[in-house]
Amino acid sequence: MTHDAAIRRPPRAQVAPAAVGFASIVTALLLTELLIRIGVINRFIVPPPSEIADSFYRLFAEEHIVRRFLLTAGECLITGVMISAFGIAGGVLMHRVTLLRQACETWVAAFAAAPVVLAYPLFMVIFGRNAWTIIMLAFVAALPPVILKTIEGMAATRKVLVDVGRSFNLTPTQQFRKILFPAALPAIFLGVRLGLVFALINVVGVEFLINYGGLGQLIEDLAERYDLAGTYAAICFVILVSVLFFIALEKIERWLRLVD
Amino acid sequence: MAATAPNADDAILVVDDIVVRYETPEGPITAVDDVSFQVKPGEFLSVIGPSGCGKSSLFNVIGGLLSHHQGVVTVAGETISSPHKAIGMVFQEESTFPWRTVTDNVAFPLELVGMPRDKRIERARHFIALVGLEGFENSYPGELSGGMRQRVSLARTLAAAPKILLMDEPFAALDEQTRLLLGDKVLQIQQQLKQTTLLITHNITEAVQMSDRILVMTYRPGKVKRIVDIDLPRPRNSEIVGSEAFGRYVAQIWNDLREEASRGMRDEESHMLHHHDHQGTGS
Amino acid sequence: MAEAGRLSGAAPATPGLSPVTLLRIAIILGVLAAWELLAQSGCLYRDVVPSLLAIGSALIELLSHADYYFNLGVTAGEIGIALLVGGFSGLFVGVVLGANRYLSKAFEPYLYYLGPTPKIIFFPVMIMWFGIDTESKIALGTLSCFFPIALNVAAGMRQIDRVLIRVGQSFRANALQMVWKIYLPAMRHPIINGGRLGFGMALIGTLLAETKLSNKGIGFLIIQTYSVFDMPRMYAMLIVLFVLAIGANALIGRLGGLDSIRRA
Repeated sequence: MTHDAAIRRPPRAQVAPAAVGFASIVTALLLTELLIRIGVINRFIVPPPSEIADSFYRLFAEEHIVRRFLLTAGECLITGVMISAFGIAGGVLMHRVTLLRQACETWVAAFAAAPVVLAYPLFMVIFGRNAWTIIMLAFVAALPPVILKTIEGMAATRKVLVDVGRSFNLTPTQQFRKILFPAALPAIFLGVRLGLVFALINVVGVEFLINYGGLGQLIEDLAERYDLAGTYAAICFVILVSVLFFIALEKIERWLRLVD
Repeated sequence: MAATAPNADDAILVVDDIVVRYETPEGPITAVDDVSFQVKPGEFLSVIGPSGCGKSSLFNVIGGLLSHHQGVVTVAGETISSPHKAIGMVFQEESTFPWRTVTDNVAFPLELVGMPRDKRIERARHFIALVGLEGFENSYPGELSGGMRQRVSLARTLAAAPKILLMDEPFAALDEQTRLLLGDKVLQIQQQLKQTTLLITHNITEAVQMSDRILVMTYRPGKVKRIVDIDLPRPRNSEIVGSEAFGRYVAQIWNDLREEASRGMRDEESHMLHHHDHQGTGS
Repeated sequence: MAEAGRLSGAAPATPGLSPVTLLRIAIILGVLAAWELLAQSGCLYRDVVPSLLAIGSALIELLSHADYYFNLGVTAGEIGIALLVGGFSGLFVGVVLGANRYLSKAFEPYLYYLGPTPKIIFFPVMIMWFGIDTESKIALGTLSCFFPIALNVAAGMRQIDRVLIRVGQSFRANALQMVWKIYLPAMRHPIINGGRLGFGMALIGTLLAETKLSNKGIGFLIIQTYSVFDMPRMYAMLIVLFVLAIGANALIGRLGGLDSIRRA
């Protein structure tokens, strides 16, 4: 069919949905505020959104949320470096040694689906109630996607590119450095991005569970002190951080894809 | 245009003054402009035209899937505003349900109206045999070829016993040989069941081979350019493709179509250029 | 197939073992051996790496007491209900968002970005709302599995071959028939994948909640072994848990795979 533009709507309508979505959320918050003030919702179970908003200031002034954020971020960074180093190396190794790949790839995939975080008491025993438990657990949980994506990226290199390398008589190392690895980079970045997402989730989660660390621990702390508004505010802050983090990762990946 | 219109009382399908318009960013376009025709019971009518003549819009209007139009379509006296049980549609794309066996696919319309299981299966088997797929009752569409899947779609539509069979380029995705053989099959079935059939196509050979009459449409806005009576003897099959009379009909229709198809091409080219210019200046 | 050509004089005792299997066995044996060595060496604090024998007997002990199965039942029940509630609400929301472009653009981004956040941080809120008993664990499990299911179903709706919907319309199927006979079967793969992910998330959410605050369930048992430093028992529990989790995941995956012959 020639003009499939036939049923396209004028661009004007595109802006509205996002605004409607946002407006709905704001309306829901206002409604909650109202229901709490008139007593329909118990304010000792759900603090009024206005109070939660006020608590934000407290988070910055008294709870040193910035320092905590940096601590969490630091743990994620270390985890990120570790999973990149070991994950890419491991993936490359498994791709090179075909037998190893055939034997172990399904294991790694199964491990990716395993609820590693449930073993946190074990990690606590081994590493103690400190940052290493957090980092090591996040490392183990976030490693599989990096390995798998690295293997996938290298295996998916178009055969013709490999043949080009062969026709120039490249040594295996040169072949790897100049053809296989660069061709696999988009998939590898995707793997690292997935790993970072897993890492953040596990870091914050374990901080909460073992009551140590940055943002996750803050939530636990505020909850134990029965600071309702503060707890809600801290949860909102963590959600905000993780959402911004994911959006940033997406943008970086897109930028890298364009550059490639 | 109305030179060979049948007596209105006989007609089972009456298409009256259909106009279909769409909104596009470049302004409204008229896909179908004032198309009228009638179909007699048992007749095989083809609608042929170049890409962009509004054939598919017409198909959707008659099938009741497009209600945003002017004009009226009636079948056996009743006006169509949504899919009517007297009309059975066969679509151009693959439309079998991949998760159902051939039998369950064909029995689908019977299931919807609550026919009991044994009767459904029996009836489905009958139509599966009719399209020549005996032995494949328990196969899944994924195991069949494209041509076989279209036959399943056809059997499914026929199982609902529609008064009018409405097909939109059902063989477009198939290779030439399969298309010819399936065309034979459809002809055979149509003649056997005396099924009133409306076939939308862009393939002249197919249209001449199978039809009693052919409606030639213009390029957008689609109007009826000419209605041609095909006076070839029945029963027909793909063998008549070589005959002289056949060739004359094809030449005549191609003459009409060529004009319209060229217009269509020129229109598209100018549209592409226009679009390209716009993009270049970044407007 | 190629075996016949390769078999020479020295036929292996078990001719069916491929090099891959041999490598796998070698790796497993190697790991077990290294473990046992570490356990016996005594260079780590006692019982951080217990001997395989200790773990083995703890495993037997674990599985032979009704107590364990009671707790397993509790946890399984919690996960089951979480999946039911989260599954149906996720299905409903997914269908609505998938069917309507406008609503999808308005609200789906929120689901998409909220999805990957760690749900355990909501647990204090769940306790406030539902109390300290099973309900709060179920609530957290529900919250955890809702997102992947809703997102997968919404994506699945959009991927349905449009012609199949037109077929249903041309045969005048009513709304219920459209959903039951066309939409849902057409989405069976995204639904199963969503279910798989959802199961994993519900499992994690429920269990972590149990470790945090509970007096029954597998999570509770695990944290209990931690507090009394009964390491062999902890290892045994983790082993059983991981086997069950990976097994259930594979099972659900197989359910989707059985379909593969039907796939067009």
